[in-house]
Amino acid sequence: MATVSLKGLSKSYGKTRAVTDLSVDIADGEFFVILGPSGAGKTTTLKSIAGLVDIDGGTVRIGANDVTLVEPYHRNVAMAFESYALYPQKTVSENLASPLKSGRTGKYTDAQQRERIDQVTTTLGINHLLKRFPRELSNGQRQRVALGRVLVRPADVYLLDEPLSHLDAKLRAAMRAELKQLGAMSKTTTVYVTHDYQEALALGDRIAVLREGALVQIGTPEDIWRRPADTFVARALGQPEINLLDGEVEDGRIRLGDGSFDVPVPSAVHVRGGDRVRVGLRPCDIHVIGDGEAAATRLTGTVVLAERLGRNIELTVELGGEQLIVLASGREGVDEGAQVSMTFADGDVHVFGAGTDPGDDTQRLGADDKVEAAR
Amino acid sequence: MAITRFKPTRSELLPGQRRLSPGSVTADLGLIIWFVFSLFPIAWMVILALKNAQEQTTTYFQFSPTWSNFATVVSDKGTQMTSVDFKAALLTSLLNCGGAVIVSLVIGIPAAYAAGRWKYKGSSDLMFQMLSFRFAPELMVIVPLFVIYNQIGLFDTKVGMIWVLQLVTMPLVVWILRSYFEDLPEDLEQAALLDGYTRTRAFVMVALPIVRPGIAAAALLAFIFAWNNYVFPLILADSNAGTVTVAITKFLGGGGQAYYNLTAAAAIIAALPPLILALTIQRYLVRGLSFGAVKA
Repeated sequence: MATVSLKGLSKSYGKTRAVTDLSVDIADGEFFVILGPSGAGKTTTLKSIAGLVDIDGGTVRIGANDVTLVEPYHRNVAMAFESYALYPQKTVSENLASPLKSGRTGKYTDAQQRERIDQVTTTLGINHLLKRFPRELSNGQRQRVALGRVLVRPADVYLLDEPLSHLDAKLRAAMRAELKQLGAMSKTTTVYVTHDYQEALALGDRIAVLREGALVQIGTPEDIWRRPADTFVARALGQPEINLLDGEVEDGRIRLGDGSFDVPVPSAVHVRGGDRVRVGLRPCDIHVIGDGEAAATRLTGTVVLAERLGRNIELTVELGGEQLIVLASGREGVDEGAQVSMTFADGDVHVFGAGTDPGDDTQRLGADDKVEAAR
Repeated sequence: MAITRFKPTRSELLPGQRRLSPGSVTADLGLIIWFVFSLFPIAWMVILALKNAQEQTTTYFQFSPTWSNFATVVSDKGTQMTSVDFKAALLTSLLNCGGAVIVSLVIGIPAAYAAGRWKYKGSSDLMFQMLSFRFAPELMVIVPLFVIYNQIGLFDTKVGMIWVLQLVTMPLVVWILRSYFEDLPEDLEQAALLDGYTRTRAFVMVALPIVRPGIAAAALLAFIFAWNNYVFPLILADSNAGTVTVAITKFLGGGGQAYYNLTAAAAIIAALPPLILALTIQRYLVRGLSFGAVKA
């Protein structure tokens, strides 16, 4: 149990800059998630904490100690690898015993070792696999064993590198729930790396979003979801992706598309008439309403595509020369070709700076954005 | 419900089954001819080894087989037919080659690990330099080596032979094992480091057992190369450290008569140790032990 503090962490592989000047403070006992697309430097950050990469600059502190130059085996951290990294020539129980036998994680008698292994395998439901070799396990089982090797011993920090990425969707959801319970149970500081926004939002006490090795935003899941610091974060979270529309401010409203529809400017955002802005609207925040229903803001468009995704229907609605993705409940009975009315809460309108081209990432606009200044 | 047996019809062939076509028949015939052609020298050697002194130069296949040649070769103490003690030479060969292989493994495995794991400035040059020992024909270096060996007293010693034979085996071991270590996922050793093991222990505990098939393959190949070496023992050794490759040729002459039948018998005996070794360790040669450790 310890805090983790990174200051100015930098690492390059040849000409590629994996992590650039990253500073993060992780509190004791926190479940901290690092979220980012592949190549964002997540694993490099994690391995820097573990001491598995030689960092080019900056410091790593665990607890009160500066461990920047400390060998991995003296750092007392446990890590689950994305590849599981189970020893192929050892059985599951030997794999789990490995950290207990090294002598650097404390001294354990054979009985104590057995007890700890038994405890962790019971928690993870892999009791019956102890005599098997890693090659005889399914991916889900291997993942549990890898997790077990982390949990079997007391460590200052648990590092989990995309532990769920190679599982199928259903198993992933189940394991996510289990991880949440485990995280609540153990009071050990945990750093969790993932590219899956759902995992991040579900598990994290706080989330740091990385992009090309640099910190974009850090905050609670609520913060990150409600107030994304820029369009990159906004797009990274949510499936289907957030709708981003360019518009111009006019009379306290933002005219979008060819100017035939508009959205209100949220109260916290200070813009003047004539400003070019980019508006973000999450598909799940837009609601389909009946013709008779009253709404402060009403958008009307034509459904060009309706995809049934089980619980929801994903509608592609065309209005004013733009296309909006809308996640509808499916009870409205809208079909392709039909006219549809939609509304949304003013507070769900995200306003970002205007970009020169659609792929640009632009900063969130607004006065109350404490989240913008990371930490 | 009764399960009806699957019967392939004429148009359906089982996996691996092929229809006979003129092309495939011709190809098979061609392969058979090639097989006979390439095996003929070995067959001829066996036949020759079973012939007696009168029949040894005949070119037809009619002869009265005898095992006496093998007995003669093995019992030859350097007094009867030739000046060589064949059994002693066989033992020397085992010692020399075994020694060279052990030296190559003890030094070569860590070297291969380092070369496979860490890339630094000049690391590939270093590897190439090591391989370049194998480029130069042995005859090119043999004269200076002979002079040096004479001066420092290594001529005709087993230590000297081991030293020179590891020049042959070391590059092999390092180059074969380097690729094994390169294929080995680094995650495994990193996991061991985080389990609290030092780099050395991580290497011994994790990396070494996984590359065991590679070590077996490299050791076998190195042994065969050392065993087959002829030039070094011919020039740098005599009766004390002389190997079996040189001893075989002693049956060819020197005493006025060439004993081709004895030479053939000696060659067959000399081929046995590598053959037996290969058969013994062949189960280690199967790769894929690391399957299951890391996702594909």
